[in-house]
Amino acid sequence: MGVRLEITLKPELFDAEGEAIRRKARDYFNIYLEEVRTIHVLTIDADLTREQIESARHRIFTNPVSQISSFEPLATTFDWAIWVGLRPGVRDNAGSTAVEAMEDLLKVRFQPGEAVYTSRLYLLRGERLRKRGKGRRIAESIAKELLANDLIQQWRVYSAEEWDPEQGIGIVIPKVRLAHQPTVDTFSIDSDEELQRLSHQRNLALHPRDIPVIRSYFLRAEVRAARRDMGLSDPTDVELEYISQARSDHCNHNTFRGKFFYRDLNTGETEVVDNLFKTCIEAPTLDLQKKKDWVISVLWDNAGVARFDQDNYYVITGETHNSPSNMEAYGGALTGIVGVYRDPMGTGKGSRLIAGTYGYCVGFRDYSGPLRPHLHPRRLLDGVIEGVRDGGNKSGIPTPYGQVFFDHGYMGKCLVFVTAVGMMPAQVADTPCEEKTTTDADLILMCGGRVGKDGIHGVTASSEIYSEHTPAGHVQIGDPYTQKKMLDFLLEARDEGLIAFLTDNGGGGLSSSIGESALFSGGAMVELEKVPLKYEGLDVWEIWVSESQERMTVAVKLHHLERFMQLSRKHEVESTVIGRYTDSGKLHLTYKGETCAYVDLDLLESGFPQWEFEAEWLPPRYRGFSEPVLGSPEDHRQILLTMLSQPNICSKEWIVRQYDHEVQGSSVIKHLVGVHQDVPSDAVVQRPHLDSPRGLAITQALNPTYSRVDAYHMVASTIDETVRRLLAVGGTFEHLAGVDNFCWPNIQYHPQSNPDGKFKAAQLVRANWALRDYCIGFGIPLLSGKDSMYVDGNLEGSFGERHKVSGLETLQFTGTSVIDDVRRCVTMDVKMAGDFLYVLGLTRDELGGSEYYDLFNYTGLHVPQVRLEEVLPLYRALEEAIGAELVASVHGIYRGGLGVHLALVAMAGGFGLEVDLALVPTEGVTREDTLLYSESAGRFIVTVAPEDQSDFEARFRGLRCAKVGKVTENDKLTVNDLNGNILFGAGLQRCRSAWKKPFGNL
Amino acid sequence: MKGNGKVSASSFHIPRSPRALVLTGYGLNCDLETTHAFELAGAEAHRVHINQLIIGESIGEIVRLEDYEIVAFIGGFSWGDDHGAGVLLATKLLYNIGEEMLAFIEAGKLVIGICNGFQALVNLGLLPGFDGDYRSRRVALIWNDCGNFRDQWVHLRVNEDSRCVFTRGLERLELAVRHGEGKFYAEEPIIKRILEENQVVLRYADKEGNPAKGRFPENPNGSLEDIAGICDSTGRVFGLMPHPEAFNHWTNHPEWTRQKEHYRRKRKPYPTEGGGIQIFRNAVNYFKH
Repeated sequence: MGVRLEITLKPELFDAEGEAIRRKARDYFNIYLEEVRTIHVLTIDADLTREQIESARHRIFTNPVSQISSFEPLATTFDWAIWVGLRPGVRDNAGSTAVEAMEDLLKVRFQPGEAVYTSRLYLLRGERLRKRGKGRRIAESIAKELLANDLIQQWRVYSAEEWDPEQGIGIVIPKVRLAHQPTVDTFSIDSDEELQRLSHQRNLALHPRDIPVIRSYFLRAEVRAARRDMGLSDPTDVELEYISQARSDHCNHNTFRGKFFYRDLNTGETEVVDNLFKTCIEAPTLDLQKKKDWVISVLWDNAGVARFDQDNYYVITGETHNSPSNMEAYGGALTGIVGVYRDPMGTGKGSRLIAGTYGYCVGFRDYSGPLRPHLHPRRLLDGVIEGVRDGGNKSGIPTPYGQVFFDHGYMGKCLVFVTAVGMMPAQVADTPCEEKTTTDADLILMCGGRVGKDGIHGVTASSEIYSEHTPAGHVQIGDPYTQKKMLDFLLEARDEGLIAFLTDNGGGGLSSSIGESALFSGGAMVELEKVPLKYEGLDVWEIWVSESQERMTVAVKLHHLERFMQLSRKHEVESTVIGRYTDSGKLHLTYKGETCAYVDLDLLESGFPQWEFEAEWLPPRYRGFSEPVLGSPEDHRQILLTMLSQPNICSKEWIVRQYDHEVQGSSVIKHLVGVHQDVPSDAVVQRPHLDSPRGLAITQALNPTYSRVDAYHMVASTIDETVRRLLAVGGTFEHLAGVDNFCWPNIQYHPQSNPDGKFKAAQLVRANWALRDYCIGFGIPLLSGKDSMYVDGNLEGSFGERHKVSGLETLQFTGTSVIDDVRRCVTMDVKMAGDFLYVLGLTRDELGGSEYYDLFNYTGLHVPQVRLEEVLPLYRALEEAIGAELVASVHGIYRGGLGVHLALVAMAGGFGLEVDLALVPTEGVTREDTLLYSESAGRFIVTVAPEDQSDFEARFRGLRCAKVGKVTENDKLTVNDLNGNILFGAGLQRCRSAWKKPFGNL
Repeated sequence: MKGNGKVSASSFHIPRSPRALVLTGYGLNCDLETTHAFELAGAEAHRVHINQLIIGESIGEIVRLEDYEIVAFIGGFSWGDDHGAGVLLATKLLYNIGEEMLAFIEAGKLVIGICNGFQALVNLGLLPGFDGDYRSRRVALIWNDCGNFRDQWVHLRVNEDSRCVFTRGLERLELAVRHGEGKFYAEEPIIKRILEENQVVLRYADKEGNPAKGRFPENPNGSLEDIAGICDSTGRVFGLMPHPEAFNHWTNHPEWTRQKEHYRRKRKPYPTEGGGIQIFRNAVNYFKH
């Protein structure tokens, strides 16, 4: 069964896809190939006539100008061929669109089980491939290391000799076949031990402390009686899966809501910190909400809501998708960005997405040590870049900003931060858009994609034994096309007032979206057999907790149903009524008329014990940290050029250019600015309403290396950097908002597997204290935030031994500010020769955790600190100077210090600089290298037109602001030492080539 | 099939603002900014879902192509760009409303295809539309030579000898390109004919306005003859890879803050409108003069 259609570019055409693979084989593995050609394969498994398939071949799948196609193998001259296809059950986006197009063209319906599967055949030619014995090894390594990921893909290699020109790759149909009748099991609750054993057996991941609470609920007499009426006795797998999902750290944030017994081992002081979320996030934000009327809706919905203008709000949240990306970089990151878009979409009655941003923390791209992560950092980074690229670009949502950070610690597990920003009108259909609720008798609809075994029990599923037809569902591939149609549809339904409530199906699937939305009405009744499935054979509990993507749960009133379904057809989105909300107090699930779950909705509300952590802090000097004994360098020019080439400093233009950052026509300050449009700006500014001059500034920061010394100062510096980035483009103090994304190694102490867990717990407490202190200090309400707590991996070394590798304690902080007229915005590039150069803020001897110390493998002790009383007046003066248009350029001084950032503003502007280090405001700095590379917080580089000098300086009287030089016509950065003599000069061309060297060819 | 292609490209007076239909749905995504650009230019622009044209009756929202003067095929990722950018969009339109589209063109009206819309126009055969033949696929937009999706601003040289309605009076433009499949390709005789008949409207150029001669990144995708946009033989059907709708405001330009310093120091007022709007205004003016 099945027909294979092969399509390829005409032989005379350049194959860009093949060339990219040829280049990577050379750059990554030193494998020189002469040529790589690609063949796209469609395997059509459907009951169609030859004429119908022939018609689709001509009219859809073959471009007569550029392609040829055939039902016979097209491969001719090659040394080795590699075929790569998806495993069964892995989302095949192009396969689905092929079906859609064929149905439309041929006016037929594909029957259940019929499908089109896409795969690729790569034809390789190269001298080493022709060497006997070597060829296969090389081909297999290209297949494994470059083209396919075993988790989601299957592959085969063929030498020219073994290739069958008649059959080619044969007919491969990766169809899911589950010979399984859906069942509902019950669990004995005779004892805690018994339930614990069953939980372990079924991968339920119930916390031992939760088990007595669960048992006591199901043992209650009135519960048993009510269940008996429904035909239930012991808890069912559907019920326990529901509880397990809802109680997971992912859904419930047990860590942040836990109790910490914090002890300072130096002073012996102890403190009990009860609930970091409540004390450090919720309380300050609620307090700030009282003072700032622009904070509209926080701390309860999928994303936070803040006022943009009188009639419009913006909506923001940030997520991480670390574990899935670590296993399958492309699919994980794609699913991550597409998933986070559903959060603003599912906030209030829905919002339109206006921007997405990214943050990647990975091991070094050129890592060549003994550890063997599942994916090499280089391949992993390529994958996540492409995943977010396809997720953002294909959704029509600009990806205007992002950051990348390299550190060995992220070899254990990478971090993939994804942030989404949306806009909603203040009112839809005469009701506040940020409000939503469910009421008795509202219908429950599931919209968007279908349900398969995706994401069930996360990566634990990877230990299952594969067969040819086992769905590799635990690793997901996002589908931005299906989601884009769904988002378009839901926005129209929202504007017509058809949506009472909506939320996305992410972690926990229906169990979480319906479980949470039913709290408003006070109950829900769901008929699980109505849920549309990708394939038959799912167990009932799997339907309930599956994390299949691109789905939203919507509450619709009966009298709106007809119009809602009409719009659903218009946008070609599948929507299905699967139940209704009730006020019974119960979550009631049935499958084909039989009750399979019947629990009180408030079961999850009470009685579960808080998690507890021991946290032990020892200040860095007592942990053996000290300043290095490091003499002054002699070659200052070369130090600067080397700093500019560091992976965490150098140009990453290759990433930025792959992201559509200008769709929606709203781009004002782009990520790359300056005369060559290649230097990163402090923040980006979007103008989301095209008929308004108002702008939204967005930026992000992370400074994980400071955590080596003290995570308190890591957080303080990161928030300060975010504030400075916003102010630098024209953001305002009146409106500074934040989103916190914590990524932390495991903090649960274990003498063998996590011996430093208590220290990591103390770091988390301190980080949250800083979050609280600086959000209050700067006046930043936290519109949203998330945490991801297990950034660790066990990697195999040279001898088969395993090493635990933990990520640095990391906070990514996202900041936003509203700008009333974007034409007042400023960029960081110096603008004109003759302008005066100023440095604002004090430089101290603060090189701890800096890029400069990193260069020599030191950590140091003096980590940058943020002194609020010192920086606040300075920032306010700068905000006013920018508002009065007295500055030509503004740039914060961040990682790499003054030296690096002077070079960046000069390169961006295309003008030279003359700088007198003796004039820079300092405290306790005696050396030029300290002054140039200290990462003290609170500083800016500003240029000012000569005619604005006196107005500008007047605003900074009594503040740490000094004129330190000027912008020059020549193409050179000239720096004078503390005695006024020339320290070094560096041509901007030379700086630029050093800065672009590491990744300039990607 | 051949249209008559006889309607001249010089005049078409209507007594009201021309109506522009901005086609949406199925992963297209530049609808808001394209609608905005048309409105800035003086058109009455409507976002219309493809299915309103095809199955309007069954969803209670009938829209007819003939009620409009301008149709815009916009940018985006229709059907995820699977099976070739713009290919499935073209198939959908051709086999559902192909005749209506031909009638629209033959009525002397205007069609613009931007990025994914340009890809759809060439796959439909509406471009290059030699002598009113609007059904032959003769050119293709294939993968960028660099092998990647790419977002960058480009300099464009306008062919002043072209009949293209949309670029009248323009000599040079700066716009953003944002695509993975934008390399203009056709066999040599076709390229020759497009050049000879002045159907090449836009070419990638350097800062001074000289043709990029294939040099990356000035020519961002390896397009033959630096071709960034072409029109049909009447000049009324226009397709281009760059995005004029994304230069709707002065501040869209990547170096506007540098320009601003010059305005500010000379105490000149800042501009508002972006350089891409003139393309839409030319379309509107076509129906006024």
